[in-house]
Amino acid sequence: MRKSIYAYAMMLALPVIVLMTSCEPRGLTAEDVILSEESQLAEMLDAENPEGYKIYNINDLLDTFMTEPGNFMSDSSRYRTRSYYNGLYLFSIDTFPKGGPGIYIRARVATDDYGGNFYKSMVLQQVNDWSQEGYPEIDQQCLRVSLDMGSAGGMFHQGQEMIIRCNGLAIGRYANQPQLCIPTNNNNIYAGSAEEKTGWAPGRITSGQFRNAAHMIGMPDVSKLVYDDISMVVLTANYIKKYSNVVAARKADGRLIRIRDVHFNGKYDEMNSGPTPCNHYKADSTDLGNPETDKNACTFGPTTGNVGYPQSRFVADKTNKYQVLISTSEYARYAYYYLPAEKYVGSITGVLGYYMDNGNYAPDGGEWSITPCSMADILPECQAEGADPRWEPVEWKLGVPQPEDE
Amino acid sequence: MFVLAIGLCSFAQTSLKGRVIDEATQLPVVGAKITLANQNISTSTNQEGLFTLLYLEAMDEEVLIEKEGFMPELELINLRENEENVMDDIVMKQDIVNQAQDEILLNLTEEEMTDDEGRSQSQASSSSASTDVFNSNTSFAWSTARYRNRGYQSNAENYYIEGLNFSSQERGQFNYSAMGGLNDASRYKEVLNPMEATNFTFGGIAQSTNYLMGASRYAQGWKVGAAGTNRNYKARVNATYSSGVMANGWAVTAQLAYRFSPYIDNKGIIGEGIKYYSLGYFLTAEKIWDNARLKLITFGAPTERGQNAAVTQEVYDLTGSNNYNPYWGYQDGKVRNSRIVKSYDPTVIAAYERMIDDKQRFKVAAGYHYSWYSNSALTFYNAPDPRPDYYRNLPSAMWDGQIANPNNAGSADQLFDANGKHYPWGLFIGEDMNGKSYGSGFIGHDGNLVGPSIDEAQYNALVDLWKNRDNLTTQIDWNNIYAANYANNAVDPEGSARYILERRHNDIQEANAMFNYVNEQYDHLKMTLGVEGKYSQGIHYKTIDDLLGGNQWIDIDAFADRDIKELASNSGFTQSDIAYVIQNDLYNRNQKIHKNERFGYDYRINMAKANVWFQNEWTFNEVDFYYALALNYTSMQRFSKMFNGRQAYLATLGYKSGTMWKYLGNNIDQYPIDPDQDQGLHKTFYGNAHHFLDPSFKVGATYKINGRNRLKLNALAETRAPYARDAYISQRVHDRVVESIYVHDKAKNLKQFYASSEKVVSADLTYEFNYPIVRGRITGFFTQSWDGTELNGYYDDESRTFVNQAMTGIDKRYMGIEAAAAVKLGTYFTLTGVTSVGDYRYTSDAIAVQSAENGMPMSQDEVTKGLILETTDKVLLKGMRLSTGPQVNASLKLSFFHPKMWFADVTVSYHDWNFLSVAPSRRMQGLYTGTRIDGTHVNGSFNDEFANAVMTTDNKVSEATIDIDPESPTYGQATYSANTVLDANGVPVLKYPYNIMTEQESLAATNPMNRFLIDMSVGKLIYLPNRQSVSINLSVTNLTNNTHFKTGGYQQARLPRGVRQGEKDYHNSVITANAWKYPSKYYYAWGVNFFLTVTYKF
Repeated sequence: MRKSIYAYAMMLALPVIVLMTSCEPRGLTAEDVILSEESQLAEMLDAENPEGYKIYNINDLLDTFMTEPGNFMSDSSRYRTRSYYNGLYLFSIDTFPKGGPGIYIRARVATDDYGGNFYKSMVLQQVNDWSQEGYPEIDQQCLRVSLDMGSAGGMFHQGQEMIIRCNGLAIGRYANQPQLCIPTNNNNIYAGSAEEKTGWAPGRITSGQFRNAAHMIGMPDVSKLVYDDISMVVLTANYIKKYSNVVAARKADGRLIRIRDVHFNGKYDEMNSGPTPCNHYKADSTDLGNPETDKNACTFGPTTGNVGYPQSRFVADKTNKYQVLISTSEYARYAYYYLPAEKYVGSITGVLGYYMDNGNYAPDGGEWSITPCSMADILPECQAEGADPRWEPVEWKLGVPQPEDE
Repeated sequence: MFVLAIGLCSFAQTSLKGRVIDEATQLPVVGAKITLANQNISTSTNQEGLFTLLYLEAMDEEVLIEKEGFMPELELINLRENEENVMDDIVMKQDIVNQAQDEILLNLTEEEMTDDEGRSQSQASSSSASTDVFNSNTSFAWSTARYRNRGYQSNAENYYIEGLNFSSQERGQFNYSAMGGLNDASRYKEVLNPMEATNFTFGGIAQSTNYLMGASRYAQGWKVGAAGTNRNYKARVNATYSSGVMANGWAVTAQLAYRFSPYIDNKGIIGEGIKYYSLGYFLTAEKIWDNARLKLITFGAPTERGQNAAVTQEVYDLTGSNNYNPYWGYQDGKVRNSRIVKSYDPTVIAAYERMIDDKQRFKVAAGYHYSWYSNSALTFYNAPDPRPDYYRNLPSAMWDGQIANPNNAGSADQLFDANGKHYPWGLFIGEDMNGKSYGSGFIGHDGNLVGPSIDEAQYNALVDLWKNRDNLTTQIDWNNIYAANYANNAVDPEGSARYILERRHNDIQEANAMFNYVNEQYDHLKMTLGVEGKYSQGIHYKTIDDLLGGNQWIDIDAFADRDIKELASNSGFTQSDIAYVIQNDLYNRNQKIHKNERFGYDYRINMAKANVWFQNEWTFNEVDFYYALALNYTSMQRFSKMFNGRQAYLATLGYKSGTMWKYLGNNIDQYPIDPDQDQGLHKTFYGNAHHFLDPSFKVGATYKINGRNRLKLNALAETRAPYARDAYISQRVHDRVVESIYVHDKAKNLKQFYASSEKVVSADLTYEFNYPIVRGRITGFFTQSWDGTELNGYYDDESRTFVNQAMTGIDKRYMGIEAAAAVKLGTYFTLTGVTSVGDYRYTSDAIAVQSAENGMPMSQDEVTKGLILETTDKVLLKGMRLSTGPQVNASLKLSFFHPKMWFADVTVSYHDWNFLSVAPSRRMQGLYTGTRIDGTHVNGSFNDEFANAVMTTDNKVSEATIDIDPESPTYGQATYSANTVLDANGVPVLKYPYNIMTEQESLAATNPMNRFLIDMSVGKLIYLPNRQSVSINLSVTNLTNNTHFKTGGYQQARLPRGVRQGEKDYHNSVITANAWKYPSKYYYAWGVNFFLTVTYKF
């Protein structure tokens, strides 16, 4: 009888054991996973770097580690073929030492990739507490990051402050645009003019390496991003001119720009003809203006025939004298939306860049462009409720002619 | 038709009586099978362990006594004519080794249950039958290798409990988790060899197993046990109590079994990152009257367990372990697995048996079973893929684009030469990932000719992260997942979480009933009539397990959202036009979902099945034969509680082509819907019902050459309705079924009526021998099936979206030989040899229809520019081997038994001809010809100028013509130009490395020695006073720690593709030479593992 009681007791105890033992680790709080105190950061840095560390400003990092020929290969002619221009290397790679004292940058994510205009890349902006008295005193420092992580913006949001350990990574120039990267070999034999484009070039940091290198600090705060808030006149006549040489351009590349009082003039950049009116879609048999087939259609990012370069459309100020290009990928969500008519005037926010991949052409300043993250960055005043006039974006549709005023 | 026969009664005087008792308990053994070897007569013991055999021939006879859980006994007796011969008590010894192996086997099959994505490694055949030398020596010994009887898929087997069918009507499989750990509940069973005559069901081409759970089968008393193992769970305790048959005629048996393992925080060992908790209960009560018995049974086993996954060889090599598990990571410093299965299958059964008289009996039973089965998984929206083994996260991703196509003209120019001279094409690869040389060398990091054209330092940096099992690289990064969500809350508090842990529910409820009547009134004839009915409802939906710090999840389809830009531009609609395509419930758009709330999809499939069968068994002195006929009715109907945007969009697209109704089912009258007006509506949308009627016929004969030798022949022919799983093209999204079912639904003749049913014929021939020293059998079998259906889903890089592929017209053949012999070597040893050599393969190509789940066009007509929403092509499966386990198997087992109750055995097994499951998407005929059988152009084929992969005798381009006329007798047939090199099945041979992408890989280890597995077990039974006993058993599997033994795997469906610049979308895709980009994934056998059990009976 006693044995039976023992056995019954054991059987009854078992469900209790099940309930008590099968559980998951506790849920994490924001404080658990995101550095929120400077002391936490210091503690982490000390732990990561027994040999010490230094946090660089972006410009200091470039000045310290990015050389003209790069340190990656002894024979720099094996960089991507179009790289060389007047003794300046449009493509270069300098590797950071893997070991030794920690090399850090502390910056804020300036871009968002949900709109599809940034792909496997982001722009970081130096975190600063400097005075913002106005141009040109603002020393906005930005750096592109090439990252093999799709939809990285879903993890590292726009406005997110981060600290990144650069050891083992590389700093390089891709088409003269500085970026944090790793060396890779471009080998796209299916590219147009492939023989001019293959070779060593800055490539995407692997996910594993980046996860180990990057730490988030605090919650993302877009309001802390700094913009060069300027007029078209200043941008074209002063700003771009200042940076329109190969070396100086590197310091301007990646800056967040907001230009005010501009409108789209319905033109694209024809290499030998300058600004050229784009093709309106009439839904006729010519297919002219069809963004699926006509790269000069009046949409933000018509097809490039799967080449993949960003399409550019001009915006101008009210004088129509000063213009700058707005750059949109054909893979952007808003790529097939018609350009706003000239009557819509407002601001455009985006990343300033100059894709200088071809040493055959002198940098004359005409190729600077601004890359918005999404359509929300384009004439937001005109998209807002109650705007006068109100721009309601219209998407291209097969067989439906483009509205007259778009 | 129920055949009656009248025979003359005869009168016999010779009989045999006896009693069987358990040596340990001295209690009667109930249900032991008593067989007279020379006269082919058998019976079973009753509640008192007694048996009687009448009408015998007087002779020297061998009496074989068998019972699950006991060692078989053989007694010799001289049957005296016209006398009642009475044997002394027959004492049976418990077979503790077999009992332990059964438990291990049950656990193995439970863990390999097909997951919610329909993908798992092949389940081992689990039923063992101690009465058959072959079955009893293969089910456990070959389970490690995932051997399957005769190469059949697990859904070919039928599982019953007390005569009630418990195989799923959706997938055809038995849910072992229902009996998790309940080794006593599943102890007693009758196993029907393929096609043989039986009394509990009609049977089929594979084994049928009937678990017998009557309380009176269990020996009176307590049994408590404990077990330890290094498998997925680490320990088990259990207790069983059985009352025996009490004075009031009732018997009660109960069992509790608890298996557990905390999370294993030890990388590289079996079960890393897995937890396991399961509590099984089993309660059975039986009332026994003189001529009847009533059984009431209930059992269940709430279980929660982590899972692991197949990964690529690269990952196994990098981590240095076959036990690597990508599903877990650290959270708060503790292990957390993202894939947690929760299952609970409460089952109740009532069965009533009655002897009408000595010659007639019947059985009725009814049961109800609700299966909660769900699996968790990480899902994400506009955020990085969280899977650590995602191909972009592996070092090999760095090679992508670096592997030259050696078949391109001028490929020699794609290399650096030995002097480092750079050739214009700049393809630097000197060797591929198999080490095969493409040239003399390549330029590395420092400019020297040392390695591939990836930076060695960076490559090694990532390799080191993997080799060192870096937590952020090789495991789920829970911290950053939470961080991403918290950051998102700050940016967009009303927005969708970036990551959630969702739970995919695949529940099923079943109610079933049976009636079985046996009549032995007539000499030589035993007639059985059976009726079975079953109603099932598959219940499928998703809930949120954990928001992982996010505020809410917005219920849209993340993949459709990603594709919407392309979807719009390809379809001619604007993004605004088709914005609703991303909605999972059009009536509740952008619904905010919180923990435990349903989202994604919520649909059910009602399934009904009924069959009636009869069987006549004729028994004569030299020949026995039987024949049986069954008629099976099956129906299925899907209905959904959500109406999603893909379904509505596809219906819109189908409007012109007249296929709208297929997507909408019975809801077509409600279309077009007005979700704006009806927001917040919750209603049910019914699909079309489909009904099937399938006949089945089997026949068999036994020729008794003499008392020790006999020949058996069995044959079966039947048609089979498709399982619901294979019927619906995309059951989570819409109601559409494979086209052949629509043909069936509207059939005007018999051929059309059976257009969707698989047709099967099968036969086997067995020679059995049974001598005191040696016994065994040899069987040859052959099965051919036609018109099978299979469904696949995969990401298609040609159309750049998720594609459903419905294959029909699949023919398969299974043939082979099984042989087994057990030889007694003196008093203590028995040597058993078993082998099975089979050839299981596809005997036809299949026709496949591909369609995008979100309605994205599959292609575009080059001339009309019209959108092509579905493509049809032939899948070149003919000659491919089935991936149902090794097809060559052999083992030798040496067993030792000492009367002092010591047991031991060692088994050496050899397995070969094991093949990887081929991906049909890689063997589409259009990939070899450039044109599908529907006439559409393939965007990037093996046969285009860029791949130039089809081998020819003259190194010129291969050409092919396709018969695209559906009315033609040669529809779909490709005719290749004479210079094309074809393999034995008429498929063009591909040049290296493209051949790697399509060939069927052997899973057999390269070194033949690694195809062997060695198992051993040792046990001891100790008798204690007062009918108490203690048994101890240790089983060690894979004794030599063979870590090279692959048990299964699958070829990934994706092909490596690149985009050609400057080309139209319908002509821009190129199959690149990186044959290793989406490599196959494998399962490996566990290394050495043990199972130690201790059982105390009192």
